[in-house]
Amino acid sequence: MNRSRERTSLWAKAWYKLRRDRIGMISLGVVLLYFVVALGVWLGLWGQGWSQVEGPMWAPPGPKYWLGTNIIGQDIFERALYSTRTAFDVGLVVAVLSTLLGGLMGGLAGYFSNRWADELILWLMGVLDAIPFYLFVAALAYALQGNPYAMHIAMIATFWTTTARLVRGEVIKLKQFEFVEAARAIGLPRRLILFRHILPNTFHILLVQATIVFVGAIKSEVILSFLGLGVTDGVSWGLMIAESTQEVQAGHFSNFVTASSFLFVLVMAFNLFADALQDALDPRKVSA
Amino acid sequence: MEMLQYALRKLITGIPLILGVTLISFLLMVYFGPDKTYDLIGKNATPEQIAEIRHQLGYDRPFLTRYLEYLKELVTLDFGYSDSTGERVSSILKRTIPISLALVLPGFVLGNLLGIALALAAAWYRGRWLDKLIMGGSVVGMSVSFLIVIIAFQILLSSNYGLGWFPVRGWNVYDFGDYLRYVTVPTLATVFVALGYNTRFYRAVFVEEMGRDHVRTARAFGTPPAELLFKHVLKNALIPIITRIMFSIPFVVISGALLIESYFGIPGVGLVTYDAITTGDQPVLKAVVGLTAALFVLVLILNDILYKVVDPRVSLK
Repeated sequence: MNRSRERTSLWAKAWYKLRRDRIGMISLGVVLLYFVVALGVWLGLWGQGWSQVEGPMWAPPGPKYWLGTNIIGQDIFERALYSTRTAFDVGLVVAVLSTLLGGLMGGLAGYFSNRWADELILWLMGVLDAIPFYLFVAALAYALQGNPYAMHIAMIATFWTTTARLVRGEVIKLKQFEFVEAARAIGLPRRLILFRHILPNTFHILLVQATIVFVGAIKSEVILSFLGLGVTDGVSWGLMIAESTQEVQAGHFSNFVTASSFLFVLVMAFNLFADALQDALDPRKVSA
Repeated sequence: MEMLQYALRKLITGIPLILGVTLISFLLMVYFGPDKTYDLIGKNATPEQIAEIRHQLGYDRPFLTRYLEYLKELVTLDFGYSDSTGERVSSILKRTIPISLALVLPGFVLGNLLGIALALAAAWYRGRWLDKLIMGGSVVGMSVSFLIVIIAFQILLSSNYGLGWFPVRGWNVYDFGDYLRYVTVPTLATVFVALGYNTRFYRAVFVEEMGRDHVRTARAFGTPPAELLFKHVLKNALIPIITRIMFSIPFVVISGALLIESYFGIPGVGLVTYDAITTGDQPVLKAVVGLTAALFVLVLILNDILYKVVDPRVSLK
C-alpha cells in the first residue's frame, strides 16, 4: 500500500527507474568515486605534492612515482589527483550558478512571455550566443584584470542561455495549467506563483541541464587552460596536456595518457549518467 | 520580391543583436580592456607626452563617441591596422579567411553527412544491435576532448612514433596534393569529434519523424526502405537539420578553427585570433567579433529563407 503510493510521485518513479538502469548506476558510481578523490584533495588527504619538483626527469612508472614523472620531475599521479579537484571546482561552480541563472531568467521570460521583460531576456540570450566563446573568455579575463575566476564567470555568463530557453518553453506551457489559474484566482502575488508553483515544476529540466553543463564546463576548462586562458593557479588536466605536448615529441607519453584518461573516464561517466537521468525523469524522451 | 522584403525586414530586426554584441565586446575589450598607453611611450615620459598618446588612442573622448567610431569601422569594414604587425586588418582577414575555410570545410561537410547517414541507420534499426553500437560509439566520441583527439591523431598519423604519413604541422599548400596532405589530419580530428554530437542529434530527430502517422501509413503501403527514409523521413526532418548546420557556421569558421590552427600552426583566421588574444591586439579582435556577429545575423535570415524553400507551408510574413 505504502509502496505503491510512493511510486506515484515523479521523483520516486524516477529514482526507481534510475536504480534499475545498470549503466546509469555504474556511471553514477564512477562519478562519485571521482568526487571522493576531489573531496580528499580538498581535505588535504592526498594530491598535495603536485607542485614538488623532486624526482628525476621522466622517471618511468614505479612504486615511488606510480605513473612516472614529467619533464621537470613532478609526480604525474599526484598532479592528476589534484587536477580532479580543479575539474570539480570548475564543474560544480559553473553548473550550479549557470543553472540557477538559467532557471531564473527562463522563468521570468516564460512568465512574462511577449512582454518587454521577455524581449529583453531573449535579446540578451541572442547576443551572448552570437559572441565567439574563446573571445568572450579572453575579453572577460582582460576586463577583470587577471581575476582567477574570469574563466568561471565567462562560462556561467554563456552557458545559462540553453537552460533558460528550455525553462522558458516549459513555463509558457505550465502557466496555462489549472493550478496556475487557481493560484491566480485566489489572488497570490505573481512572485509566489512563479517561484513556488511554476518553477519547482521545471526542476527536472534544471537537474538534467546541470549535469550537461557540468560536462561542458570540464571540457571547456581543459581546452581553455591548454590555450592559456583558463586555470592560472594550481594544475588541471588541460595544463598537464599543454605541458605534455613537448614531452610527446620526445616520446614520453605518460603525462598525456594520464591526463587524457582521467578526463575521458569522468566525462564519459557523466555523459552516461546524464542520459540515464534524462531517461528516468522524462517519460517523453525518445530512447532505445 | 516577397523574399527580398522579408530579408530586409529581418535585417532590421537583426540590428539590436549586432548592437548588443558590439556593445558588450566594446565594453569588455576596449573600454575595460588593456591600457595601451604604456606600450607606446618611451622612458621618462612627461605628463604632456602621456596625455598626447592617450589623445592619439582616443582615451580622452567620451564613451559614446568611441563606441560609434567602432560601429563606423564595422560598417565600412575598415578596422585600421594591427597593433602587433602593423598590417591592415582587412588585408589580414582577406589572406587568412580562405585558408580557414579550406581547412574547416571538408571536416564540417563530412561530419554532418556521415552523422546523418549513421543516424538514419541507427533510427532504422532502432533498439537493435546496430543502433546500440552506433549510439555507444557516439557517446564515446562525445566524451573525448577535441584537444586529446587532435594530439592523438597527430601522434598516430603524423609523428615518427606512429605512421608518419602526414606533415606534423604547418600549411605549405601550393597544389591540390599539398592541400590533401595538410588537410587530412585536421579533418579526421574534426570529423571524429563532430560525429558523436551530430549522430545523436540527428537520430533523435529521425526517430521522432519515424513515429509520425504519415511514415506509418507509407510503411503500411509497402514503401521500400530507401524511399521511406529519404522521401518521407529525411525530407520532413530537414528543418531541424538546416537549423543545426546553419547555426554552427559562424562558429565553425572562428572558434572551431582556433584550436586546430593554433595547434597545427596553420595561418588561418583562428590562429590570427588566438595571437590577437594573447597579445591584446584590439583592432583584430574587434574585427573578428564584429564580423562573427554580422555573420550570425546573416545566418538567422538565411535560415528562415531556407525554411521556406524546404517547406512551402512556412510563411514569411
